[in-house]
Amino acid sequence: MTPRLRMQAITKAFDGIRVLHGASLDVEAGEVMGLVGENGAGKSTLMKIVAGVHTDWDGMIALDGVPRRLGSTREAEAAGIAIIYQELNLVGELSLAENIFLGREPTTPAGFIDYPEMNTRAVEIMAGLGAGMDVTRPVGELRVGRRQLVEIGKALSQQARIVIMDEPSSALSETEIQILFSTVTELRARGVTVIYISHRLGEIFEVCDRVTVMRDGRTVGVHATGEVSRQELIAQMVGRNFEQFFVKAGQPQPETVLEVRDLTRRDPDRPGRRMIDRISFEVRRGEVFGIAGLLGSGRTELLEALFGAAGAETTGQVLLNGRCLDLRTPAEAIAAGFGLLTEDRKDSGLVPDMSVIGNLTLAALADLCRGGFISRVREQELAETYLHDLSITAPDPQLPITSLSGGNQQKVLLARWLATNPAVLLLDEPTRGIDVGAKHELYLHLSRLTRAGMAIVLTSSELPELLSICDRIMVLCEGRPTALFDACEATQETILAAAAPAV
Amino acid sequence: MSEETLLSLDREPGHSLTRRLGPFIGLAAIFAGGVILNGATFLNPYNQLNVLGRISIIALPAVGMTMVIITAGIDLSVGSLVSLASVVCAMLLMERSPTRATAVSVPIFVLCALGAGYLLTRAILRRFVSDPRRVGLGAAGGGLVLAAGTALWCRTMIPSGFGTLAVLLIVPGLGLALGALSGIIIAKGRIQPFIVTLGMMSAAVGLAKFIAGKGGQIHPVYYEAAGYEAAGTVHTAPASFDALSGHLTLFGIDLVPVTTLFFVAAVIAVGVILTRTRFGRHLYAIGGNEETARLSGVLVDRVKTLVYALCGALSALAGVLYCAAYTQGKSDAGLTWELDAIAAVVIGGTSLMGGRGTVTGTLVGVLILGYLGNILNLQEVPSEVQDILKGVIIVGAVLIQEGTLLRLWRRGTGSRRRTRSQPEE
Repeated sequence: MTPRLRMQAITKAFDGIRVLHGASLDVEAGEVMGLVGENGAGKSTLMKIVAGVHTDWDGMIALDGVPRRLGSTREAEAAGIAIIYQELNLVGELSLAENIFLGREPTTPAGFIDYPEMNTRAVEIMAGLGAGMDVTRPVGELRVGRRQLVEIGKALSQQARIVIMDEPSSALSETEIQILFSTVTELRARGVTVIYISHRLGEIFEVCDRVTVMRDGRTVGVHATGEVSRQELIAQMVGRNFEQFFVKAGQPQPETVLEVRDLTRRDPDRPGRRMIDRISFEVRRGEVFGIAGLLGSGRTELLEALFGAAGAETTGQVLLNGRCLDLRTPAEAIAAGFGLLTEDRKDSGLVPDMSVIGNLTLAALADLCRGGFISRVREQELAETYLHDLSITAPDPQLPITSLSGGNQQKVLLARWLATNPAVLLLDEPTRGIDVGAKHELYLHLSRLTRAGMAIVLTSSELPELLSICDRIMVLCEGRPTALFDACEATQETILAAAAPAV
Repeated sequence: MSEETLLSLDREPGHSLTRRLGPFIGLAAIFAGGVILNGATFLNPYNQLNVLGRISIIALPAVGMTMVIITAGIDLSVGSLVSLASVVCAMLLMERSPTRATAVSVPIFVLCALGAGYLLTRAILRRFVSDPRRVGLGAAGGGLVLAAGTALWCRTMIPSGFGTLAVLLIVPGLGLALGALSGIIIAKGRIQPFIVTLGMMSAAVGLAKFIAGKGGQIHPVYYEAAGYEAAGTVHTAPASFDALSGHLTLFGIDLVPVTTLFFVAAVIAVGVILTRTRFGRHLYAIGGNEETARLSGVLVDRVKTLVYALCGALSALAGVLYCAAYTQGKSDAGLTWELDAIAAVVIGGTSLMGGRGTVTGTLVGVLILGYLGNILNLQEVPSEVQDILKGVIIVGAVLIQEGTLLRLWRRGTGSRRRTRSQPEE
């Protein structure tokens, strides 16, 4: 049988640096193929070649046995290939429907956009994804997870024969992931080929028929998911054996560092509504305090409120080491000893044109200055310390941070906050979109930090992660705390039960 | 300023090779064109000094604009502030009684002195006093003393006309205040810089005409040596003000126009700000990603206010130098200068999207535009044709920097290479 898509001996270089060395991939019609590998292994590059984004590569690509060279994304689309990127590509100001049909809007005979038709079709597509949403709403108003569903809807609307999903679940809640899985199953039943890139191996085993492993720009293995174990996959991805993936932090110490009482944040867009509602908790020295909850439960909003980023919308008391704080700006929060690693690297983490060093020292500049002048020597020293401590791979730290891989970018942003010596580190989805190796490293760093006495508040939509690295877990539902577990007593089921809204 | 500082002015992050080198190559090409077309006339020291003198004034708003554009903002009001400043400057020098110019500029200057005195005393006191309340009181006292002194100083000058130093302080103070006003509205009101400075552009010209009186009459500046006989009816400006339009001379040889010294000082100062200070780093951070900057503790509103204030002050300083160079203040002195300033910044490789750019680039952009005008003048090309060529150069320069032409050319020659792809994942 001819495979739907065959890629052989693909090589590709960026500015003289080889990123693919003869990668290959075979996918049958109606098959769900997992694609795994560490960041920088070349997965996304390989997929961008299929999607016609990169056009200068060597090797062979055949669609249904016919060799093809896709010269542009348009050609790829015409050939029935749709790709959903890790970094979402939606126009925030346009509505859901307008985004789904962007560039392919149905028109009336007079040439105007046929809005009724477009909206009806958009509703059908989103309903097919199990997401009944107002398709006339601007996409910018949606949370990341919802936007992802719109991206998937967009791909489906193109009648694609090959759908490539690059980290589709990284921003989705458990419920939405289940919807995604049923969508993937549905696509397979229709004979559509799905290539599913994910760092979450659990998903690969759940939804994929086979899995292709990439490492350092090469294809190093293809397995049927029924015939390979998680450990074997990880070993093949990193090229060595993993003793233990999750790293549990040390024992929390008795003294309380952070105390939060009745923290409430009003929703400025919807008067009378509260994004978070009377939340109280305490975090001890050396503790990793997890916050679980579905999308929109108020996890991110809680961290923002703690960090002073919500300004006057916030009420309630925050005590740090027994001292009552009234934080109105992030600058005050940083000075008081907070650091916030945000959920969305692109939106609120990176300064894309700035160098690796500039990004790393951005929040700690005050300590590096005399009379407003930055000491370059001290800045360099500080940056090098953290580049080394967090083993960040940055060939030239003077280059823009966008020259680094996702995992290394994330480590630079973590370093940005460590450089300010925070007493409390707030981490919003710190492992989103980074690879297995980088995750493991991050766990090691967190464990080291807590042993040094730092208090960490962490959110994650990956329940196994929360259960393994946190000491205690608070569950939020629609802005209200619904449960507080010792991590050793909680299970995925008990957390999910507490997180689900009572109907 | 050290050599190292000058050399490192262009070491800013985020520059592709064409972006970084493009402006210099362009300047070299224009210069070579001048030598080929006009030979000795072009290279003649007098011609070179003439070009320098002409561009140095217009370069000041461009230097301020560089900082504004790095924050992803824009300041359309710089030309109007030049006009306003030239009018106020001429009237302060020539009038011997309180006028609208003094009524507007002196109180604002006293306010500036209050602020400066406050900040200065506070900075000094902080080193010795720990109690913040006592620091605040002391700083307020320091501000009041400086403000009172300034007010008295201004009062004494009204009957005799303001001196050179006075206008060099008072007029930029006016620009600083109006720039800060734009900045505050942009920052606190969350309004697009384009809109706010468009408003300021209109308002400042209106103010200039109102101050000038009679719908914007021209205020000439006279000197003793100019030989005007009507002493007693027409006052004269101090000779030191005339020196602003002259040259720095050594052994009777003109070395460099005085205005160029201001320009060079501004380039160095802003270069140091951009590359060496926290404020400068914050400008890049805001332009690169404002939300990240805010969450990293950058006081975004304060930085924005300050950057528009600095741009306003530099524009007003240009107005003073204009007044000296053309011996008059008029309410259309800086007409369309904002466009020249933006053009110079953009030719210099600074991105209108913010987050990247250098002041050396702007320096080169100003030189390119200056030499272009000079060469075309020497070739006796009509001014309307010059404007067309200038437009072509501006757009062409950016096309080259963005690598667009290169890419189109490669596509045209059938090569499938792409130039701007980056490794991802």
